Amino acid sequence: MTLLSLHGVTKTFRVNQREIHAVRDVSFDVQEGECLAIVGESGSGKTTLANMILGLLAATSGEIRFRDANLPARRTRELRRQIQFVQQNPLSALNAKRTVGASVRLGLDTYGIGARATRKVTVEAALSAVGLAPELARRPPGALSGGQRQRVSIARALAVEPSLVVLDEPTSALDVLVQARVLRLLNELRAAQKLTYVFITHDLAVVRNIADRCVVLKDGQIVESGATEAIFDNPQHDYTRNLIRAVPVVDETEVQLKDRLGKGND
Amino acid sequence: MSPLLSIRDLKLSFRGITGRTDVLHGISLDIAPGEKVALVGESGSGKSVTARIVLGLLQELSAASIDGDIRFESDDMSAFSRKQFAALRGTDISMIFQDPTSSLNPAFIIEHQFTEVIRRRHPAAKREDCLRIAGQALAETAIQDVERVLASYPFQLSGGMNQRVMIAMALVNQPKLLIADEPGTALDVTVQAQTLQLMRQLTDEHSAAVFFISHNLGVVREFADRVYVIYRGRIVEDGPTAAIFADPRHAYTRALMSAVPRITGTGLPDIPERSADFDAPGVSHGGLS
Repeated sequence: MTLLSLHGVTKTFRVNQREIHAVRDVSFDVQEGECLAIVGESGSGKTTLANMILGLLAATSGEIRFRDANLPARRTRELRRQIQFVQQNPLSALNAKRTVGASVRLGLDTYGIGARATRKVTVEAALSAVGLAPELARRPPGALSGGQRQRVSIARALAVEPSLVVLDEPTSALDVLVQARVLRLLNELRAAQKLTYVFITHDLAVVRNIADRCVVLKDGQIVESGATEAIFDNPQHDYTRNLIRAVPVVDETEVQLKDRLGKGND
Repeated sequence: MSPLLSIRDLKLSFRGITGRTDVLHGISLDIAPGEKVALVGESGSGKSVTARIVLGLLQELSAASIDGDIRFESDDMSAFSRKQFAALRGTDISMIFQDPTSSLNPAFIIEHQFTEVIRRRHPAAKREDCLRIAGQALAETAIQDVERVLASYPFQLSGGMNQRVMIAMALVNQPKLLIADEPGTALDVTVQAQTLQLMRQLTDEHSAAVFFISHNLGVVREFADRVYVIYRGRIVEDGPTAAIFADPRHAYTRALMSAVPRITGTGLPDIPERSADFDAPGVSHGGLS
C-alpha cells in the first residue's frame, strides 16, 4: 500500500531576484514498510525534499499525499506525530540543557501518548529498544558518545509511534563500527515496528545495504529511480554511475564492480 | 634510506580537573622521503593529536605532557623551540585540514593568503613574484580562471575549489612532508575522489611525503603506500597497504574492515563496537621502504 506519494513537487526559492529551482517536478511513491533512499550530491535538493515531506517548507507547486489524503504544509498535531525526523548531527538535534530522558519524554507529552504515570516507563522502554541503558535517561546529551546520541534521536522519533521516519544522513557523522551498529538497529526497528523510512544520504555504499528502492536526484530533478539492486547492477545515467564509482571501496569484488561500471561511458 | 619522520614510543596524556587521561600509549611510526603513509582509526583514537605533536602545536598546551622521540630529517624535535617549530610550519612541513572553507581566513582574498605563505619561505618576495608563483601553483591543480580565484574570498568559491586552493597553498613552498587530516571529508564523494587523485598526483610530482590521517579505510586504500591502524592510543597493525587489505590480522583491523558497507551489497554485519581482542598486541607486516 502506498503510504506517501509526491506528484510534480517543485520548490523555487527567490534569491536576489533570481529564481533557484531547488526541487523540480519530483514524483515518486513510498510503499508502506519499505526503505526508500534519496541520493545525490550536496545541492541536489535532497534536504529541501525532506523538509517538504516534514512540513517544514511548503512546496511551490505539486502535491504531497499521505495515506491517500493531501498533506498540507501546515500540519495537524496528529500528522506531525505520524511523520518523524532523525537528522545528521544528534548533538544539535538534542537540547543540551535537557537530560536525554526529558528529550524523549517531550514527544510523549506533546502528543499525549499513554497515561502520564506510565510515560517514565515508556521512555525507558524507548531507550532500551535502541540499545541504551535506562540509567542514561538522567544524563545530558553532552555526556554521551556520538553513537549513543544518535540512538537517543532515534528513540525520541520512535517513542511517539510514527508510521514514517525521514532520516537525513543519520550515520554520516558516526565512526564506521558505530555506523554499522546503528544501521543494523534501524533495520531491526523497521521490521519490528512496521516502519517506513525515507533515507537521505550521499553515501551509496550505505544505500546499497539498507534501501529497497532509490531515487537519484541531480539539480533538483530525478535522473533515475528503481530497485536498489537494479540501479547498482545497471545504472542508466552517467551521474548515477559516477556517484557509485566515486565511493572509496575496500575489497576486490567492489573494485570489479566499479571497473565494470567504468566500461560504460565516463 | 633514513626516514624523513621517525616517531618512537610517543606518549601523550592530558591533565584535567578529573585527573590524568592517557591518550597515546607509546606509538612508533616512520615515514620515508616521498612516502604516503596513512594513520587510520576512529574518533578519539589519537590520530589527530599525533599530527598536532609533529607540527609542534600540542607542545604549547600546558595541560599536555608528551614523552618520546620524534625526529624530522634526523633532528630531534623534542629539543625544538617554539620558533623552530614555527619556522618549519608552512615551509618544510605543511598541512591540509578537513574543511577547506573554514581553514582559509574568511577576511582576506586568496591572493593575500598565498602571499603570506610564500613569504614564509621567501620573506623578500615582491607582490608580482608572489602572484606568479601562486598562479603557477593554482594552475597545477587544474584551476582554469586563476585570476578570479586569487581575487576571491573563500566564501565566494565552492568547497571543491577551496580544497584545490588549500592543496596548491600547501605545496607552494615545496614541503618535504605534507600532513593531511581527513582531507575532503566535508565534501561530496565525487569531489572527494577528485581531491584525492589530485593530491596523490601533485605530491608525487613534488616528491613530498604525506602523513595521511583518516577514518575512512576506502580512502586510505586508494591513497596510501603504507598504513598504520591506531586503536585507543596504540598501533595495532601496520604494513604495506596491499598486505593490510589482503590479509588484515589484528581483530580490530578486521572489525574495521568488515564494518565498511560494501557497494556490492553484502549486508550489514554484526560487529561489536568494543571487544577484548581489540586490545591484543600489535601486528606488523613490515615493509618500511
